[in-house]
Amino acid sequence: MLLEFEKVDYTYPSSPQPALQSLTLRIPKGKRCALLGHNGCGKTTLFLLANGLYKPQNGAIHWQGSPMRYDRKSLMDLRQKVGLVFQDPEQQLVASTVEEDISYGLCNLGLPDPEVNQRVGQAITAFNLSELATRPVHHLSLGQKKRVSLADVMVLQPELLLLDEPTAYLDQRQTRDLMAKLRQIQATGTTIVMATHDLDLAYCWADWIFVLNQGQLILEGTPQDVFAQREILEQLHLGVPLVFDVLDKVAEALSNQSEQADYQVMNKIPEPLRNRILDVFRYS
Amino acid sequence: MSSLQIDTLAYSSRLRQLPPEHKLLFAIVLLIITYVAQIPVQLAIAGWISVWTVIYAGIPTLVYLRLLSITIAFWLTSLPALVMSGIDLPHLQTIQTDAWAGFRWGDYYLYLSHQGVQQAAELGARAIASTACIYFVILTIPFTEILSVLRRIGCPTLLTELMMMMYRFIFVLLKTARELWTAQQSRSGYRTRTLWMKSLGLLIGQLLRRTLENYRQVSLTLNSRGFTGDFRVCHSRQYKLSKRYGFEALFGCTLLVMLTGWHYVTGI
Repeated sequence: MLLEFEKVDYTYPSSPQPALQSLTLRIPKGKRCALLGHNGCGKTTLFLLANGLYKPQNGAIHWQGSPMRYDRKSLMDLRQKVGLVFQDPEQQLVASTVEEDISYGLCNLGLPDPEVNQRVGQAITAFNLSELATRPVHHLSLGQKKRVSLADVMVLQPELLLLDEPTAYLDQRQTRDLMAKLRQIQATGTTIVMATHDLDLAYCWADWIFVLNQGQLILEGTPQDVFAQREILEQLHLGVPLVFDVLDKVAEALSNQSEQADYQVMNKIPEPLRNRILDVFRYS
Repeated sequence: MSSLQIDTLAYSSRLRQLPPEHKLLFAIVLLIITYVAQIPVQLAIAGWISVWTVIYAGIPTLVYLRLLSITIAFWLTSLPALVMSGIDLPHLQTIQTDAWAGFRWGDYYLYLSHQGVQQAAELGARAIASTACIYFVILTIPFTEILSVLRRIGCPTLLTELMMMMYRFIFVLLKTARELWTAQQSRSGYRTRTLWMKSLGLLIGQLLRRTLENYRQVSLTLNSRGFTGDFRVCHSRQYKLSKRYGFEALFGCTLLVMLTGWHYVTGI
């Protein structure tokens, strides 16, 4: 286990309801995890706690088996290993040009300038930012800013990458590019946790799913297992990915038809076929 | 002319690859000469630096003239006060030599003063020459590079950091203000005078609220990115020296200094 939350409580000072209530959640190493839930279910709070920006009011957080410490040095260390990409790139980019912004985290680690420049150069090539490198941040489009904010975090080579609604500002193509990038990042051994409410995206990308509601973990497991719990998900008004919906509708249509017609038809989609269709959608 | 446009121009100017220190030094030297020189030299400086800005750096002439017209407009509005003088009739003798032309107006005599015209011309030449120098700086050196020069010559860190953050977030603020303004416009928020005042009040209040929110978010981000209390960044920009521009700048400045010196010596 990479990061463990044990019965963590967190309530914002201005809010009557707790953001997280006795939340227990374990992030397995090397997986692509999706964190599903409505707005305000505690996804962002969870990330801020994981990054050591907030301290749990009750309970404990363990990073690689040892409890999180909140002194300056441990926090610096933790924040290099746990990279957090905020939802709004506008607030994440602080320096004035792309290149300077990417160098910011490395300079904070106190690395010598030649090494900083070399690593910034690598990140710029890896994230296709060469044309934008010397441009001021406010000249970029939102999609480009998002790419820069991911490069900002990845340049530190974190072991755990937290993404808060990464597709919120992206169009279809940018989303696809981002997913491809994330696959590459995961291939190098980085664990990724993505908060989203796009169920289809979560289904086709993730291999482990957490469902959060009102600050508590409701379900976790592989996408097939989690989305098979249709009733629970419907109760939470989350629903299921489109492909599950389509398959269920087809099955329903088939069984209706069988009542009308006299002859025997399959009133169910055979299990192997169903699984094959689900698999096709998963790896597309 | 928004600040964003000026910023974009500076980033795409053709003199971008010259070291910012050199451009800054060039403008400062010209500015100093402007302060000590006479009208012909000042006009020469204004013309010469405009050639640098418009032809060498490739800033669109129209944009440049529009910027320059601001200064000229200020100068023109103060012109009447500078060139016109008035005196009551009994003292008319004392200004005989100074008056160019004039007329009586009641008990007063209003006239065009030689000295005033001279003063206005000096003021105009100096104002236009010095703003042309400043425009050369802001139109050919991006603000971030001015900042890094300031950092290198030992400007206090607190000051450069503040300027850097202001530069980054002024655009966020402007964008927020523009979005709010558009949203209010689309719901006819500025239809009448009273509504106008009310909507503007709302806009300012909202801006303040969002600024505070933004501040909270940014401090979270800075922490998350390992802020250590000292804002440091690196860049890999490579500047190229240009012999051609260097020669022209040196030659021109020497000539201007000699001309100014000659003016002082011969007393013209």
